[in-house]
Parts: sequence; C-alpha cells; structure tokens
Amino acid sequence: MLRVLLAIWAGKLAALGLRALGRAGTHVPGLVARKIHPGIIGAIAHPKRVIAVTGTNGKTTVSNLLAEALALQGLVVASNRNGSNLAAGVTATLIGAVSWTGKSRADIGVFEMDERSAKLILPGLAPDVLVGMNLTRDSIKRNAHPAYIAWIISSALSAKTTLVLNADDLIVSAIGSEQNPRVFFAVDKLPSDGTRPRGAAVDVAICPICDTTLDWVYWRFNHIGKAICPKCDFRSPEAAYRARDINAATGRLSLDLDGDVSSAKLINSNIVNVYNEIAVAATLDVLAIPRDRILAVFDTIEPPTTRFDTEKIGDVAVVRLLTKGLVGVACSRAFEYLSTFAGRKSAVLTIDEVSERVTDVENTAWTYDADYEYLADESLEQLVVGGVRRHDQALRLAIAGVDPSRIVLVESEVGAADLVALDGVAGVFNLHSVHNADSTGTPVQNRLRERLGERS
Amino acid sequence: MTLTIEMLYPEIANLHGDNFNITYLAQCRPDARVVRTRLTDTPAFVTEPVDLVYLGPMTEQGQLTAVKHLAPHRARIEALIESGTHFLFTHNAFEVLGTRIRNDEMNYDVAGVGVFELESTLSMFGRYSGKVMGSLPGHGTDQPIVGYKSQFSMVSDAPSAAATSIAPFFTAERGIGRNRSTALEGVRRNNFIGTSLIGPLLVVNPHFTRSLLAELDPDTEPVLAHETFALAAYESRLEGFRDDRRWHKHESVS
Repeated sequence: MLRVLLAIWAGKLAALGLRALGRAGTHVPGLVARKIHPGIIGAIAHPKRVIAVTGTNGKTTVSNLLAEALALQGLVVASNRNGSNLAAGVTATLIGAVSWTGKSRADIGVFEMDERSAKLILPGLAPDVLVGMNLTRDSIKRNAHPAYIAWIISSALSAKTTLVLNADDLIVSAIGSEQNPRVFFAVDKLPSDGTRPRGAAVDVAICPICDTTLDWVYWRFNHIGKAICPKCDFRSPEAAYRARDINAATGRLSLDLDGDVSSAKLINSNIVNVYNEIAVAATLDVLAIPRDRILAVFDTIEPPTTRFDTEKIGDVAVVRLLTKGLVGVACSRAFEYLSTFAGRKSAVLTIDEVSERVTDVENTAWTYDADYEYLADESLEQLVVGGVRRHDQALRLAIAGVDPSRIVLVESEVGAADLVALDGVAGVFNLHSVHNADSTGTPVQNRLRERLGERS
Repeated sequence: MTLTIEMLYPEIANLHGDNFNITYLAQCRPDARVVRTRLTDTPAFVTEPVDLVYLGPMTEQGQLTAVKHLAPHRARIEALIESGTHFLFTHNAFEVLGTRIRNDEMNYDVAGVGVFELESTLSMFGRYSGKVMGSLPGHGTDQPIVGYKSQFSMVSDAPSAAATSIAPFFTAERGIGRNRSTALEGVRRNNFIGTSLIGPLLVVNPHFTRSLLAELDPDTEPVLAHETFALAAYESRLEGFRDDRRWHKHESVS
C-alpha cells in the first residue's frame, strides 16, 4: 500500500510541477508513477464504475461524448479526454481521480484506450464496460494488421467485462471470449452502401468457418458492413442498438435501443459520427441511464470537428483535411471525401512522415493500402505534391490512374501552396498529415487564404 | 505471348499494399491475364500453364489457412519450380512453403507445406521493422534491390537442411536477411523468388521489375509503366539508402 501511495504522491507532485510550468501534465505524472509502481493501474483505487473505449477510429470522440453525457447526469467523471490514451495517460487520470490518501473521488471513469496498449492497460484497469468501435488497418510498423490488435485486446481482457461492440465490424465484434457479456450496435443499410467490397484494405472477405467468400447485405468501407456466408450459418452478429433513417437535412435520425425506437438529434451526418452516436447510446443504455435522458444528451453534446475545416474565400472553398500519413485507411476516407466534393477542384498533398525525413527512409508501402484511386477523377484538375517522398506519391497516383499531366511535384511542402491552381476551381484542398499539421498544414492554409484574398 | 499471372488467395493475402506488385506488373503488361484464385478454387497452376504465381502477405491465421490449401499441391509446386515456372512470394508468404511455423504466443506449432527446409518463428511482441539493401547475383551493384521488412517472424534453416541447399534471393549489404544473424535474404530456387521485403518490391525496384518482365517474356521488349516516376522514386530512395546516417543499429546483422 505504501508503494501505491508513493506512486500516487509522486504522480500528483509531478502534475502540480508541470502545471506550474504551464504544461498539461497528462502523461508524465503517469510515467513517474509507473516507474515507482509498474502495476499502479491495477493497484490504485478505481472510480465506482470504469468504461474503456478503444478502436482504430472514434475512440477519442466516443470517450469524450460519453464523459460529457455522464457528467450531464450529475456524475463525477474521471476521463483522459485531455491527455494521453497510452498506459501513462490512463495512469495520470486515475491518479488525478484519487485523493492524496488514495481514495477515489469519481463516480465513473471513462478512458480512451490506445488499442495497441491494451496489454499494458486492460489487466489492471479491468473495465466494467469496454466499447469497441472498429479495428481497421493502421501503421504497418506499429499495428501490423487489425486481427493482431484484436488478439492483443482479447488476450488482455477480463471475462467479466461487458463488451459494447460494433456489429458492422467482424473483427472487433469477435474480441473477448464466450464468457464476456456483450451487446452490439450497428448502422442499418444506407443508400450509399454497396454489396461488393472494393479498395485495397479489406480485412475480412472470407467466412471464418468454411473459407467461402462472404456475401454482403451491405458493404460500407474496408470490412465494415453486414456479411453472411452463402455456404454455412455464419453471419454478422445481430445488433440490439441500431441507427437508421439518417436525415442530414432535418438533422435527425432514429435510434433503436433494443427495440425501443425514437427520434434523436443527429450529432453529425458523417457516417463515422453516426457510429459514434449509436455507440454512445448503446453504452449509456448498458449503464442503465434512462432512455429519455439518453436521447436528450444528443441535444447537448457535439463531436469535435478538428480534423476537418472548410471556409469560403470569394467563390472558392478552402478545405483543410487531416490525411493521416502512414495510415492508408485514414487517407482513403480523406480521398473519398475529396472525390465527393461537387465541382472542379485542386489539391495540395503533403503527407510524408516528418520523423523519417532525415533520419530514415520512409517505408511508403502504406500508400498502397490507401485508395488513391478516389483521386483519379477528372474533376480534380491538379494535385501538387510536396515533400521528400513526392516521387513515391507521384508513382502511387499514376498507378491509381491519375493523369500524370495533372501531377505537379515540388520539394518544399509549404511551397506547394504557391503552385496549386486556383482559377476555375470550386474548391482547393489542403491535405496534410498529423505531424506536419503545424509546420505545413497551417502555413499552406494561410498561403491559400492569402492568394485567394488577393484575387477577391 | 500473353502472360498469365496467378494471384493466390487475394481475399486473405493482401496486407501491406503488396498486391500492387501484381497491379503494377499488369500495368507494365496490359495484355496480361491475371487469374485471382480464391481459397475455394483449384489453383490455375494445377491445371494449366501459368507464367507467374504470386502470393502476398497475410495474417498469422491467414498463413495457416494458406498452408491448409496449398499442402495438397506440394508435389505440383515442386515440379513447377524444378521446371522453371516463375513464382513470387512476398513478406510472410514464402514461410508457408517452409517446414514449420512456430508461434508460442498464439499457441501453435504447425508444419508448413514443406517445399523449403526453412522454419519460421514468430514473436508477437517483437515485431521487426527495418530497411534492406542488396544486389542480385549477376546484376552489378549500381541498381541494388531496396525494400523494407516489417514482420513478426524470423526464418532459419530447418535442422534437416543441408548447409548449402537454400540459396537466398540476394545477400543484404545493409539490413538483415532471413533473421538477425544472417545477411542471406529470402529464397531463390530456379525461378522461385521468396522474400520478406515489402514496398511493394516490384514497384520500388523498377530495374528488377524490368528484368523480371524480360525473363517472363524474352520475346517482348519490357516496358515499365509510369517509368519516369518509377525511376525517380527509385533513385530518390536509393540516395537515402546509401546515406549512412539513415541506418540504425537494429538494422545490422548481429
């Protein structure tokens, strides 16, 4: 017990010191505490109930929305919403939620969990509820493939944890063991859905029982959709919690909460946020929050929009879109969005990995996991590619079918903003990665604003 | 001649963008016939002449599934290798043809198809990522193969293997080979090429791709798709690979 208190005190003192220096202190205090007590996540007092949210996409939004929704119920919520989702961040949040004597001060903890860190977090955290959003391809180097991440989570999961899982993802929906209580959520068939998978990153294509190629009742993207085996009884799990009747014009959708269907505010019409909304609703229902209050929270809470920004300067829309390098699937979603933008457009593409520009030679295999084919549309008049790996990007674009005459290469990432065509386009896209958001994304955005401002 | 290229099991063997090896090859030879063989199909190489058989990267479960489906065709595969049919197995695909795949963390230790006297051992919390560069025998040193490893497995000779029986695809000048203790990378037997390199190999190594095209169809002048971009990307990458500052300690044979 003394070691636990020492770890708590050290973590709290580190947090105080960092805050005095003007830093957030959401990660280092956890590192310090874990040095003193590597098992502190399990040893420290937990909030009365603990929720963990994981998956490739949506975990930040869903954990933030859940924390907000639970706070609206009058509960004291501990959450790592402003900090790290690695073991140190979870530790720092747990330390922040206990008193100096180690007593928990929170009614409920909502923890965003990096899926690759499950081995370090789940055994100690032992959440009452784990929300699994989806598992799609991520960094080749770090995450390998989605089935690997599913195995890591399953290996670290207590059989007592109740699972709230995406039925439309055959990988995440299968995590855990037969002992785990589980419920499923899904988004019903949409008009835009297909029935045949396409694209580079389809991680479930065959029946796990008989190896037969699956049929899809609806296919959305990657391996997200509802599948059935034409040969045996295998099929996607049936979801008790379902979103449907999504109407962007009215800003409403129908939420089916285990047979109880109601209209609710659509927090955002992007399909990713529809999944986020039904996941929040399902989790709140599992936590026995009254259903009228579940519906009411969507009148208040909103997802962040930091990965997407659009403004109109004169008659041209400037769209800044986070296009996460090293993660092909994330790029595919950005490219798909660009392809659906009505009218002629041009784009600046700067998605090299910053950390490997000088000290390594980036493995660009991930670009072949991304559907650059979305960019091979005549309405995309010009693509200006900046950066060290511009030749690799150009080759990938050409293989995708982009007319080479539309590809312009420039070494300087920021300089790409000076070359991109603005005449006759309805939109210009600024596609940058995470690590160069400040060094490239913002200067490119500013330069595009300047150029368009000079014209108008 | 019309090239026939068989992609084995693309529904499970499609990781790391490596199937663009075949997409690119098909763009170099737009007249090629690409046969995509599903797990429930009989492979084309069993019943008809095929110019190139390709198998790409897969999950750990995928490896076991591929072993199950290829094992009945072991004799045919061996005969085709002996008679000079081209094969390209990338990343962990060539491990399927070894004698054993061992994965303690996932609790299995199974026999492979058994074409090569090689064993692979997976370490699920010891993923290796790094660069590899080396010249092909008989191709000079100006245009070496460049590529990347990102894998759980290390490959070693099976106890039964004769010391000189398993020729490599090439010997790494920089980076590691089949495992951390050898510079011998991959497998070459006649026209069978197995390599753990991703990139994809044929996209990032246009000179090698040109030579492969020439081997596949000696009567047709090989043409690289998007040649200007492909060569520029290769030269840029090679410049980086030849910069000592970009190599790290773990990328050395121990």
